[in-house]
Amino acid sequence: MITFNRSQVIGAEFPDGETVRFNGIQEDHIYGMEIQMDIRIYDGEILKIDGNMKRYTNFVCPSAIPVLQKAVGMSLKNDGWDKQVMREIGRKGCEHFAEIIIECGRCLRQALMSRDLTAALSEDPGLDQGQYLKNWEETHP
Amino acid sequence: MTLRFLRNKLVEVEPCSDGTLDVFWRLTDDLLKVDARLKIQPPELEITEAEVRMDRFPPSVCQSAPELFEDIEGVTIGPGLRKIVHGLFSGPGGCSILADAVLESANAVILHFTRPAIQAGESVTDDEEKLANTRAMLSANPRLIRSCVAFQDDSPIMQGIEL
Repeated sequence: MITFNRSQVIGAEFPDGETVRFNGIQEDHIYGMEIQMDIRIYDGEILKIDGNMKRYTNFVCPSAIPVLQKAVGMSLKNDGWDKQVMREIGRKGCEHFAEIIIECGRCLRQALMSRDLTAALSEDPGLDQGQYLKNWEETHP
Repeated sequence: MTLRFLRNKLVEVEPCSDGTLDVFWRLTDDLLKVDARLKIQPPELEITEAEVRMDRFPPSVCQSAPELFEDIEGVTIGPGLRKIVHGLFSGPGGCSILADAVLESANAVILHFTRPAIQAGESVTDDEEKLANTRAMLSANPRLIRSCVAFQDDSPIMQGIEL
């Protein structure tokens, strides 16, 4: 029998050419949290963030929701961005919110690659996807 | 608006009949699929087996991930794990996905042990008793102090607590 299970689901929308909107959900046997945030693509800056706590362990936990606003202005491309998120949002707010934000940050590059590959495949369905992604990595250091 | 990218991650802890714990960690998204398995030996929580498989389009720095991942065998889940894991898998040219797999699996093992106490606490209905139980838990686990908003100095949980 499984005694602990955690799922994270991160989705990315591109509402315009300059922004990516992440929707992140974390569900496990103990906690249930959600984050939605808008990121400016070129510098990775968090422009807007909202969060929701569905399940938590004590009555103080929901006071971590306003702490999320400290994330506005942080860049998900700076060196040490994940440590900054854990320090400012995790330790001063909620570790599980920070975990979702960090997973969204890890998805930023992948989401852009996926968006660009989809566009390239619409132009050339026979495209060598592996080669395209290798070139993408080399041209987007 | 339709999603242009979707990632699913899952970590599961399953106790085995021989007393060990199997941890299954999976990441799947539009471009990447990773399956990792760790076997954990209580009570030291030593990682005795580690295997990983990557499919779709793994980053080029992860080409030798299956061999590299075995380096975590023999390491114990506990203080210093983060530093060891980053030393093995992160940094320039490293495969940080392996570090994520180990650290998130280790966290799941800890929560596997934590869950029964949290569930037991749910049967308490008196608010003062709940608060006293939380304060007792903090006294027994001082590393949690200032780890989140609930355990900061100005939290009502921290008021009057003797550490």
